[in-house]
Amino acid sequence: MKKEKTEELFVKWIDGLLTPEEEAQLAAAMESDPGMKAELQELKKISESVVSEVPASVEPPYGDFFNSKLMRKIDLQIQSQRPAKKAERWWQSMRWAWAPVSALALVLSFFAGHRISRPADPLAQKKTFVEFTAELPTVYFTGEALDAEVIADFEGDVSAIVVNGLSAIRDDIDFVTVNTSASLPESYESSEARRFH
Amino acid sequence: MNFFRWVTSKQLMAPVGASPDAGAGDQEVPDRQLIKACQSGDVRAFETLVTRHRGKVYAMVQNMIKNEADAWDLSQDIFLKVWKALPKFEARAKFSTWLYRITHNVVYDWLRKRKIDSVGELDDGILNQSDIAAGSRTSPSVTARPDQALVNSELGERINAALATLNAEHRETILLREVQGFDYKEIAKVMDCSLGTVMSRLYYARKKLQALLSDEKGKD
Repeated sequence: MKKEKTEELFVKWIDGLLTPEEEAQLAAAMESDPGMKAELQELKKISESVVSEVPASVEPPYGDFFNSKLMRKIDLQIQSQRPAKKAERWWQSMRWAWAPVSALALVLSFFAGHRISRPADPLAQKKTFVEFTAELPTVYFTGEALDAEVIADFEGDVSAIVVNGLSAIRDDIDFVTVNTSASLPESYESSEARRFH
Repeated sequence: MNFFRWVTSKQLMAPVGASPDAGAGDQEVPDRQLIKACQSGDVRAFETLVTRHRGKVYAMVQNMIKNEADAWDLSQDIFLKVWKALPKFEARAKFSTWLYRITHNVVYDWLRKRKIDSVGELDDGILNQSDIAAGSRTSPSVTARPDQALVNSELGERINAALATLNAEHRETILLREVQGFDYKEIAKVMDCSLGTVMSRLYYARKKLQALLSDEKGKD
C-alpha cells in the first residue's frame, strides 16, 4: 500500500470516517502489523484530548470594546469612500458640459480683454497725467560754483561721482517774467542772450 | 435609510455588543440573511455577524500565534477585511470557510512579517512514519519558564504547549479539524492545498503531538 494511502486510512480511522472498503483494507494491513492498532488508538486518544481540551471559541477580552472599535474603523472607511465617489460622479455627469463652458469662457475673456484695452474716460486720463507729472524728477540748477569729485574703487570695480554746487530751481521763479539779474547766474544769462538774439 | 435596511435593522438585528450566547433571537437569524443585509450596507447586521463569530476567530488566531494582544488586533484586521470583501462574497460559498480563509491569510501574513515561523521544523516531504519514535522531541519554538512548567502539568496546558511547538501548517490543520470541526475539503479550501496534503499534515501533526505529549509524560 502506498504511503499516502496508508496515511489517509489512518487519519480516517481516527476520525471514524472509513468506508467499508477502506475498513477492509486497513484490517488487512493491521493483520500484517500487530503494533499498528495500538499506535492508532494512541493517536485517537491524542485527537480526543485536543477536542476536549482546546476550546473552539474564546471571547476576545473587552468584547464590547472590540465591536465598538471595529465599527468605528468601518464608519471611518465608509466616510472616506463617500466624498471620492461623489466627486467622481459629479465629474462624470458634467463631462458633457465641458465643451460649451470652455467656448463661453473663451468669448467672455475676449470681450473682457477688449474692454480693458479701450481708452479710459477723460477724467481718468487727466488723473493719470497728474500722477505722471507728480512723479517727474527734481530739476537741479547750478549755483555759483560747481565742482565734481570722482571716487573710484578699482578693486571693487565701483566708482562714484559726487557733484557739489547744484541746487533745485526755486518754486517762486517765474520763467515768463523772470528777473534774471536777481537770481540767475551770469553764464546762464549770456547763454540765453546768444540763443534768443 | 432605505426600507430594506430599516426592516433588517429593526427586526432582525440583535442589540449592539450582545454575546453570541446572549439571546436565542440573535441565533435565529441565519448568517446568509445577515450577509445579505451587510451587502446592502447594513452596518448593524455586520456587527451582529461579528459578535457571532468573533469568539471562534479570536480562539483560532490566539491558538495560531500564542499572543493575546496581537490576536486581538489581528481579529480586528480580519473582520475589517471581511467587511471590505463582503460585497464580493457569493451566497453559494459557506461563510465559515470563507471567514477562515481570510483568517488564514491574515495570520500567515503576520507570521511572515514577524518571522516566527519555526526554521528547521520537520518537513512532511522528507518525514517517514518510522522516523518519529515515541518520546522523540521536535525542535520546540516555545520554552516554558520553570514556574510556568509547573502550571503546564494540566493536560490542557500540556496540549497547548505541544501545539505551540508544531509548525504553523500542522498547527492550523489540527485546529481546523479537531477544534473547529472542519471536514477535509473545507480544510483544503481554507489552507489552499490539496486533500492529500491535508491528510498528510493531519497524520504527521497527530504523530508529533503524540511524541511531544509522551515525552512530557515520561518527564513527569
